[in-house]
Amino acid sequence: MYSSFNRTLYYLILGVIGLPLLTGLLGVVLPSFGYDPALGQVSFHLGHWQQLLQQPEFWSGLRLSLSTGVLATLLSYWFASSLIMVCFEKPWFTRLQSAITPILSIPHASITIGALFLLAPSGWLVRLISPWLSGFERPPNWITVQDPEGVALIIALVIKEMPYLMFAMGAALSQLQPQQTLQAARLLGYERLTAWHFTLLPQLFPLLRLPIFMVLAFNMTVVDVASIIGPNTPSTLAVTLLRWFNDPNLVLRGQASAAALVLASMVAVSILCWLLFYRLLNQLRHHFSTLGTRQSWLRYWTWFGASAAGLTLLMTLLSLLLLPIWAFTKRWRFPDAWPNRWTLDNLNRAGDRLISLTAESFSLAIASAFIGLLMALVLIEFERAKGRSRISVALLFSAVLLPQVTLLFGIQVGLLYFDWSGTWLSVLAVHVLYTLPYIYLTLKAPYLAFEQGYLEQANRLRFTPIRNYLTIKLALLKAPLAAALAIGFAVSMAQYLPTLLAGEGRINTLTTEAVARASSGDRKLVSVLAFAQAILPLICFMLATLIPRYWTRWRLAFRRSLCSN
Amino acid sequence: MKSLLRFSSSCLLASSLAMSPLAFSESSNDSWQKILEEAKGQTVYWNAWGGADNINAYIEWVAERVEQDYQVHLKHVRIQDTANTVSRVLAEKTAGKDVNGSVDLIWINGENFRAMKDNNLLFGPFANDLPNYQAYINPEARQSLTQDFGTAVDGMESPWGMAQVIFMYDTDTLDNPPRSMSELLSYAKAHPGRISYPEPPQFLGSTFLKQALHELAINPEVLLKPVKQVDFDAVTAPLWRFLNQLHPVAWRRGTAFPSSSEEMMRLLDDREIDVALSFDVSAASVHIAQGNLPDTVRSYVFTEGTIGNTHFVAIPYNSSATAGAQIVANYLLSPEAQAYKQDPTVWGDLTVLDYNKLAPQQQAAFDALPQGIATLSLDQLGTTLPEPHSSWMEALEIEWRKRYAN
Repeated sequence: MYSSFNRTLYYLILGVIGLPLLTGLLGVVLPSFGYDPALGQVSFHLGHWQQLLQQPEFWSGLRLSLSTGVLATLLSYWFASSLIMVCFEKPWFTRLQSAITPILSIPHASITIGALFLLAPSGWLVRLISPWLSGFERPPNWITVQDPEGVALIIALVIKEMPYLMFAMGAALSQLQPQQTLQAARLLGYERLTAWHFTLLPQLFPLLRLPIFMVLAFNMTVVDVASIIGPNTPSTLAVTLLRWFNDPNLVLRGQASAAALVLASMVAVSILCWLLFYRLLNQLRHHFSTLGTRQSWLRYWTWFGASAAGLTLLMTLLSLLLLPIWAFTKRWRFPDAWPNRWTLDNLNRAGDRLISLTAESFSLAIASAFIGLLMALVLIEFERAKGRSRISVALLFSAVLLPQVTLLFGIQVGLLYFDWSGTWLSVLAVHVLYTLPYIYLTLKAPYLAFEQGYLEQANRLRFTPIRNYLTIKLALLKAPLAAALAIGFAVSMAQYLPTLLAGEGRINTLTTEAVARASSGDRKLVSVLAFAQAILPLICFMLATLIPRYWTRWRLAFRRSLCSN
Repeated sequence: MKSLLRFSSSCLLASSLAMSPLAFSESSNDSWQKILEEAKGQTVYWNAWGGADNINAYIEWVAERVEQDYQVHLKHVRIQDTANTVSRVLAEKTAGKDVNGSVDLIWINGENFRAMKDNNLLFGPFANDLPNYQAYINPEARQSLTQDFGTAVDGMESPWGMAQVIFMYDTDTLDNPPRSMSELLSYAKAHPGRISYPEPPQFLGSTFLKQALHELAINPEVLLKPVKQVDFDAVTAPLWRFLNQLHPVAWRRGTAFPSSSEEMMRLLDDREIDVALSFDVSAASVHIAQGNLPDTVRSYVFTEGTIGNTHFVAIPYNSSATAGAQIVANYLLSPEAQAYKQDPTVWGDLTVLDYNKLAPQQQAAFDALPQGIATLSLDQLGTTLPEPHSSWMEALEIEWRKRYAN
């Protein structure tokens, strides 16, 4: 009875995820081949593809998406792994880990808005050294942001993705035996970092494959970060194709659909290349490790990467610091290092709007995190019992790995077809589609690592399986459950395109408003929004680490106080 | 494409037939009463660009008024780009959502209007039947009231306001701002990195191209014709020569362009650039008041005049609140709403009403409007150059992107 119920639920959830994926794909595949009934085109042809291949902006955008996406991923991986290697076994390693966790929760749009002001020619870095050192009375005509090669975009992506990879590595390391491995290698005379390269990294990579691919797919297809800090003549392919989708000349839509498919296949090809390349690299590493050298030159790379990682963290900190500063600024002109007039007006001006946006963001985030958590629990529990998870993993990760621009337009058509668009519920549903994979991924390892014996023993003592499941298993798992909830919350808070497309512009969140205003003149208002957008997930993350730690103590104290009365 | 064009011409024919014999007076009064009744309690979702606080506040004010006077609930859907709304309505048509569409009113003009009209995405004709249109609008007063970027309006959209390109500069930095495209170029050559313009296809960026073309073309008259009827390459050659010279000495060496007028004003405040553009004649005053620009900034226009146009509101074909939307469109044309809108401390958008058709006390309301410290008067705004035919916009944008965006 229980298991058949669970099985029904399991396949129902898979269907709920699979259906939007299917509609999403159909909604771009058909128009790209000329089938678009709204334009009166019902015949299949290759015209849009030919048109696309003749667009110079398509090729340059493709090149840019590929180069920035792959480079940003390589750098994030290099920096993150280097910093972990250098800091591992240092006394403050755990403190570093807990310091980067909150960065994960901050939406990329807000960090990017901060980074834009940090790096711009009229930005904070130049202001800090002007005019006393640089001699600049006016901002220099430098190209430090929106540069044609996308360097600033790469920096912004690394700022956001490096902490995520460090977090994933920390989690993966706990599944290995790093101390013992390192110790054994060092007893054989290997230098510490060399030991890492020859023993631990090869074990670590298979566990990191999924997080890296998620980062790769994100970096190549992101819209909000690229439109804020990326180059604009040309833009990355994702930004260009979104512009085509929205062009008043509706005929461009077929071409945009074709470009969206190219983008999706580019992600797939890059993942394959990455795997191939890694194989080669692994062979090479194997070759070097069997030479018998105890000190590999690889460690210099690691030292360099770790310093770059330190620098990146510093930039992250500065970018985030700028948000509250601008939020309370009245006038701050170049070349002043600090605002010369402060005010609360910006908050007042945002006022009611800020409250309603916050309420909308918060309710969506909390609801989608809880729904995602429930669905993830059903999925993982079923997989624990049956020991298979291929379909769900494939479905969940195609939702994450498929470019949002590709998938969401098709989903929008589907929502319209069922007349579900533009409501809070439809936005919630699309948010769940994106929170579920992250919650699933965060929860899966600790959930499967749970010593099932506790629950079985409890059931033998008293057969109340549901109650025991809640009060024994879930209670023991409250730390990972809270962490998964916090991640779901943060993922939902950061969603830009899903909210925009499913909400028809009627549902506005802090994120949609902040991105919409990012390029506008009003840095103050944007900072107020980005600050609010960053602070909510931060609070949530703090609660997620604090509550499980003190929960039992508080619960017992509460019970004692009840009993003593 | 071909089928689309054929489609649009037949649609034009149909709507002009429907337009011709309009019986006003009694019967139209009755039907307006019916619309008033029907509109009570309706919710009107108005998709309007939400990038400027002062405009948002004005729309908020309109919402309060129509709620109070007509019991119409007006909801402002703040959008970034009107084109998104056009594609939204199209997506609804794709999905067969022919009633209860998500949009009831759109702030629109130019190529977006043409796209919607050509694809039969609009409700109407309705505009010429609005009581305030009949009372206060003189369609002959300006070509842009009946020809929206060369596309016949045909009552499918109702005029709301008028805009004209203005330039802004900081009197602390500049004594004598460049007042023509050639002066702009020589200024940029003398001060590299201080001149820029928004990136086409952002509408202000495209307008900059049109402004430059108007000045540089040997015979600007041809711009009023559809692009297909003229030799595009020959007419635009001086424009590309001009831009080829400008970009190497432009802001960020022409590798990046601001995304909007708002960003240009921010860059002007940061002193990254020396001249900013806007389509909003009161932009400088409003931003000085908000602390986004120093109070030494002033507006000016080019000696030969600048491009101006009319902006409208239209109703999508699948709106479920067409009555409410018409009430709002009509209210927007009332002397009260138009005078309040033209107040530079509110918005400063120019009225579409004919001054001579107003009653004396209504005229007095317009006369009494204050002038912002950096806002030009109607006289100072000088000559308004006509928008080229709407086909130019797309042709210029495509060519610009081909040349400079990859």
